[in-house]
Amino acid sequence: MRAQLFGTCLVDSFFPEVGEATVKLLRRFGVTVTFPKGQTCCGQPAYNVGYQAEARSVAGHFLSVFRGEDPIVTPSGSCAAMVKHHYPALFRDDPKMRAAAEQAAGRVFELSQFLVQVLRAHEKGFPGKGKVTYHSSCHLTRALGVLEEPLILLQSLRGAEFVPLPDAALCCGFGGMFMAKLPEISCALAEEKADSIVATGADTVTGCDAGCLMNISDAMKKRGSPVRVAHLASLLAEGI
Amino acid sequence: MSGPDLSARFLGNAAAAAAGAHSVSGTGDLLAALGRIVPAGSPVYCPGLTELEKAAAPLFPNRVADCMAAEVTVEEVFGAIAETGTIVCVSEGGRAVQAGLLPAHHVAIVRRDRIFATLDDLLAAVAGAPPTNITLVTGPSRTADIELTLAIGVHGPERLDVIVA
Amino acid sequence: MSDAQTSLSFRSNAGKAVRNQKLRAAMKHAADTFGAKRIDAFAPVADVEAMRDRASAIREEVLKNLPRYVDQFVASATRAGATVHRAKDATVAKEIIRKILADRGARRIVKGKSMVSEEVDLNAHLEAAGMEVVETDLGEYIIQLEGEAPSHIIVPAIHKDRRQVGKLFSERLGVPYSDDPQVLTRTARKVLREKFLSADAGVSGANFAAADTGSLVLFTNEGNGRMVTTVPPLHVAILSIEKMIPSLADFPDFIRLLPRSATGQTITSYVSVITGPRKPGDATGAKELHIVLLDNGRTEILGGESRDILKCIRCGACMNVCPVYRTVGGHAYGWTYPGPMGLILTTLLTGMAKSHPVVDASTLCGACVDVCPVRVPLVDIILQLRRRKVREGFSDPKEKAGMALFGKVAASPALFALGQRLAGRFWPVVRVLGGKDVAGRMPAPAKTPFRRKAP
Repeated sequence: MRAQLFGTCLVDSFFPEVGEATVKLLRRFGVTVTFPKGQTCCGQPAYNVGYQAEARSVAGHFLSVFRGEDPIVTPSGSCAAMVKHHYPALFRDDPKMRAAAEQAAGRVFELSQFLVQVLRAHEKGFPGKGKVTYHSSCHLTRALGVLEEPLILLQSLRGAEFVPLPDAALCCGFGGMFMAKLPEISCALAEEKADSIVATGADTVTGCDAGCLMNISDAMKKRGSPVRVAHLASLLAEGI
Repeated sequence: MSGPDLSARFLGNAAAAAAGAHSVSGTGDLLAALGRIVPAGSPVYCPGLTELEKAAAPLFPNRVADCMAAEVTVEEVFGAIAETGTIVCVSEGGRAVQAGLLPAHHVAIVRRDRIFATLDDLLAAVAGAPPTNITLVTGPSRTADIELTLAIGVHGPERLDVIVA
Repeated sequence: MSDAQTSLSFRSNAGKAVRNQKLRAAMKHAADTFGAKRIDAFAPVADVEAMRDRASAIREEVLKNLPRYVDQFVASATRAGATVHRAKDATVAKEIIRKILADRGARRIVKGKSMVSEEVDLNAHLEAAGMEVVETDLGEYIIQLEGEAPSHIIVPAIHKDRRQVGKLFSERLGVPYSDDPQVLTRTARKVLREKFLSADAGVSGANFAAADTGSLVLFTNEGNGRMVTTVPPLHVAILSIEKMIPSLADFPDFIRLLPRSATGQTITSYVSVITGPRKPGDATGAKELHIVLLDNGRTEILGGESRDILKCIRCGACMNVCPVYRTVGGHAYGWTYPGPMGLILTTLLTGMAKSHPVVDASTLCGACVDVCPVRVPLVDIILQLRRRKVREGFSDPKEKAGMALFGKVAASPALFALGQRLAGRFWPVVRVLGGKDVAGRMPAPAKTPFRRKAP
């Protein structure tokens, strides 16, 4: 099986280890991974604050890069939701682009979704260790409807204990450009999230979106917490 | 749902909403229940408009003609809703709509055959030509406006008793 | 109003609110309590989703034919003996009400909770005309004594704790200090009972209006709504035009959804259905009923892309789950309506020029959409408003320039790679320029971007 990897701008620029872990995981399950050259960003930074023309320009570029029939896999629920739900809407009035947007929307997967639904990676399980809790990102769960997949994968970690996060559905305060536009609120929410994480007694918190994890990581660092913040891809890949 | 089930469901839900819930059979039983529920000697407003109210009225030596002066209102109400444990008060037939509102204690008698299963059944019965005032009453008057702490008896009764007769 | 917080100063309002630990603790307590109670209240209900679908469809039907339902309501209510007035805006509505009251010599007015009366700022207008206006909902009464605006549409004084209320009552009402909510409630009962019995008129809002019967439907817990609408000889109700429901028979699902969504109750203590004033044979009730139907820009909203906000039934569920609202509280939004539905209404009703900063007050997390009982697509509407903000030129010029650059760079692999290299090299500078709030919260860019290691 082949898959096109969309790294996302955050992983590409700030968290390359998450990209590498994603490749390692996909290959482990027999996927031939391609990385379409010229990929950049899904366009959310512009889209979410109302810059429609700019978002369309970036989305158009994405669609020109991701061609063909192979599934598009990305280690981000938010970026997957952008392609799946907002691309078709962005090109509502452009029949040709709209067809391309719908075609891409039909084959985009968030990583945990792809691992469970397509590769059934949880059946073999993964080596793991320690006490792990999980932050369910808003766009992953609410826009993409991916609730169970990350939990199924975490429960397949042999040797690790999974502890649920209280108020797991509460936003961490990242919100893309929101963190820059209303930083006080963003930090306050991240602090609240950090409180919940510390209360679980977990030594690792994981999630499926680098943006949220970055925000959480900052709050954990500020309080000098030893809790490790790791993307689910990194957590699963490190044992294999 | 059969009659006894409806009554049990109504009373269960009324009790869950902090109303005193009582069931009686026959007039003698009703008067005995009222004797227990209504503090002796309190000024009682009992309009005496229905057979049940007429039967109950002589029980109260300190009966007042104006509900404003009463500490307790004893009245038969239009009906009840099992789904929510609600009594239904209407302004039909010259009934004072504030009788169940101003005194601190409201005792509502509901005839067993006037219990509607659901909100739909009740509204279907009144929707065609509604009287001036229909009030669905569920439990005593309450507020949580201070720190979300429940306090009972704000502007309406602090005590509500419902009696299925 | 004791503070000059406006929607335009949202960002600084929010900053102040975040630093107010007392406020944040109260907001978190409220959000958590309502959130949990809401879930418990819906748990035993069979097929909640179908119920939401039905309620949503009824609200949609109302919006599709709003002028017809309003006309039908006017005819039905008039037939039932009420006098119906139509007010195109706040100024007209306030003046209609003042005149109704003044013409009848009414001086002492008791009020039930009404967000629409807050929207038009009715109290100030009546007080300027020499009338005494007393809010009778306990929460509204507390903030009226304090000279504040509501911070929550269901629990207006949510930002005050019991000690603050105790102090306020002892100072303003001359009663011994107590911080027991039951004692404070009894004090309010006593003071307000006298107000009810001596009032010349009652002014209320309405949660809904039934077009087929001309009835007003009010949900209350305290009983003040029943007092205001039935004890004084004159009752004036003010409501906005979109509160129509086609028929009284359509109400069961709304009675099931509204209290559960608002306070997590199965039903409120009281649901009143009022059809016209006292009629021959009625023993009690207001002798005269006037209904003021407020448009105030709603007809224009109905014709626009964000019309779905008019489906809203003001339960407040979206506010209770909103991460922004639970952090900053209602006052920060700067106008009558806070939270997700509030920022939308604020923008649409007061205009982008007066409100544009509040369209940023969402992380787009979508928790509001999950709980909306009538399925208002709140996130989609917030995105529409953000696009409008950009289109109408209210966005920050630096942001606009930055986004124009982003649009070009992210659509060009060469520029994107160059940007990455520059950001990496100049990160210490970016960190200083971007400030501790933004760049300071991000790690330094990777030395080697993923693209150079990718397959």
